[in-house]
Amino acid sequence: MKLDILNTLDSNGILKELGASSSKSVAASALAKLKVPNKKTEKYRYFDIEPLVSKDWKLCEVKEQNVEASGKKIVIEDGALLNSGDIDGVSVEVAEFSDIDAEHFDGLYFLSHLMAPKAIVIRCSKDSSFEIEHNYTSSECLINYRVVILVDANIHCQISDSFKGEAKKSFILSGYDIFVSRDASLKFIKTHTLNSANYTPIFTSRYKVDSSANLKISSFDFSFDNGLNLFRVELKENANLDASHLLYATDSAKYGIVSEIVHEGKSSTSSQIAKSILDKKARGIFDALIRVQNSAKWTKAHQNSKSVLLNSGAYMASKPQLEIYIDDLEASHGSTTGQLDNKQLFYLQSRGIAKDDARKMLILAFAHEIIATVDDEYLANKIYADFETAYYGKYELDCMKTCDSCEESILGIE
Amino acid sequence: MSKVLEIKDLKAKIGNKDILKGLNLDLEEGKVHAIMGPNGAGKSTLSKAIVGHYDVEVTDGEIIYKGKNIVDEEPEERALDGIFLSFQNPVEIPGVNNAYFLRTAVNARRKHLGKPELNAAEFLRAMKADVAELGMKPELINRSLNEGFSGGEKKRNEILQMMMLEPDVVILDEIDSGLDIDALRAVSEGINKMKDGKRSFLVITHYSRILDYIEPDYIHVLKDGQIVHTGGSELVEQLEKEGYSSFEEK
Repeated sequence: MKLDILNTLDSNGILKELGASSSKSVAASALAKLKVPNKKTEKYRYFDIEPLVSKDWKLCEVKEQNVEASGKKIVIEDGALLNSGDIDGVSVEVAEFSDIDAEHFDGLYFLSHLMAPKAIVIRCSKDSSFEIEHNYTSSECLINYRVVILVDANIHCQISDSFKGEAKKSFILSGYDIFVSRDASLKFIKTHTLNSANYTPIFTSRYKVDSSANLKISSFDFSFDNGLNLFRVELKENANLDASHLLYATDSAKYGIVSEIVHEGKSSTSSQIAKSILDKKARGIFDALIRVQNSAKWTKAHQNSKSVLLNSGAYMASKPQLEIYIDDLEASHGSTTGQLDNKQLFYLQSRGIAKDDARKMLILAFAHEIIATVDDEYLANKIYADFETAYYGKYELDCMKTCDSCEESILGIE
Repeated sequence: MSKVLEIKDLKAKIGNKDILKGLNLDLEEGKVHAIMGPNGAGKSTLSKAIVGHYDVEVTDGEIIYKGKNIVDEEPEERALDGIFLSFQNPVEIPGVNNAYFLRTAVNARRKHLGKPELNAAEFLRAMKADVAELGMKPELINRSLNEGFSGGEKKRNEILQMMMLEPDVVILDEIDSGLDIDALRAVSEGINKMKDGKRSFLVITHYSRILDYIEPDYIHVLKDGQIVHTGGSELVEQLEKEGYSSFEEK
């Protein structure tokens, strides 16, 4: 199937072509309006979308199978639920889902919903911490699926989202619809860290954060190939978002984030920090908009992108944006792109640390600010290890880089 | 007395500006040499030239260290061979754990000297005594390198590094600047304890205050990129009375 042929159809034609139910007519209308992106689509300007939408893809069919229910991990393989886990207070089902975000900016968000007749729906009704593992095995095909997460009111969850597999030359079109209910909180840690030029993922997601709810997103993308995360966040009254993103891209990867954070309710707060480390001919993308609607007075919104280019062939397309429709607020945005600091490099060398090792130390230090947002020590150490594996090609994690316990115990620090 | 460092007719510039204009200086093993001079004389440039700072381009002359001209050596090679510079303004490096950094440096030097490397516990035990001796807050070694440290804490951290790295030549660039009297005393005591009759010191300073605590064997007056006078500790009094103008440039 070629995706770009949908651009010749109206909404009814899209529904028919994709075999989608009429309950998805909102998505079809939105897609007919936004279109399947091409090289002229602004949001995909720095990304290589054309080969993905013009290719005649074999669709990876979601296999019906017996679903296991064991362990603390939910496993999804090629878009099919493999293991729903056995997690107290967490239910998982495969169900139709139609509460899509009609305001989403991305055509592929709607396409993904139209192509997925059902979604994997995860509901958290008790405080919990668990992992979702996405495993990709089918090569040279289009793998499309949707995941929905519902966090009930007053519930506090941590979800670690990890990806692995060898789906060579496949196109992963997926994403989340996440609802954090009133007074609930979700720590969502997305570690897409070991993609060694196997497949191209485009994750197109939506997060709805209800009144006085809290969403913390920490995303880690270490990649040798192309990929894009597009997401839209709606913040209701007193809702809070902390979003931190770390990107390491190398070779000729084009990778990044396109986001839209919308402050809808008063006294809502958001902080978005992106750090990108780009080597060889990699291109990083940070195209992020914060919109403060006129209903959202007393908002606080801060956004920052920092990038380090390790090679003259690397490139960062950074576009932080604020769109504000009210006076009474606090907002800032900024972007810096540069190389490693010569003064810092020299300082380390002057203590006998070889230049290559000093560079590695500084790169890890640059990444540290984002990795440190993960307060689960086991997970943070795993991310350090993945970063080292991606950057150095090997893993030499030393506890002194990442944990304080040995210093504390030996030095007697309270 | 053997010379550990010989600087011969050294000329160096920063950007297009000539700073060192044929400087000659010998450092004797086990001695404390003080360099004093007015602003802009080239004191910090001299220290940078010795450690191989990227700002400084040596255009002529030699820096002979342990019998070898090190002008073309990388900064880390000079450090591994035992040259240590305590920076006037130590840089802050967020995200690099102070203890991890120092263990990496200590083990690089130990490896260079053919000694076994220290594991985390061995290193931290060794460091604990030095931290206490310097009156450092123990939590500083758990923090990012120099990040958010006060001026005094940064200088103490420099001296901690010196104590742990056990260099053969120590260059102290304005170690007294920004220190209150207690910090100055603690830092000076740390330095004095490092005197072992073999280790040499080059103390670069504007003011004589530090020399009340670290007694120099020689005082060199640096003006306009050259050493214009060398004497003993009696020079301090003369400089206090007459200032640098009484020493003519060559």
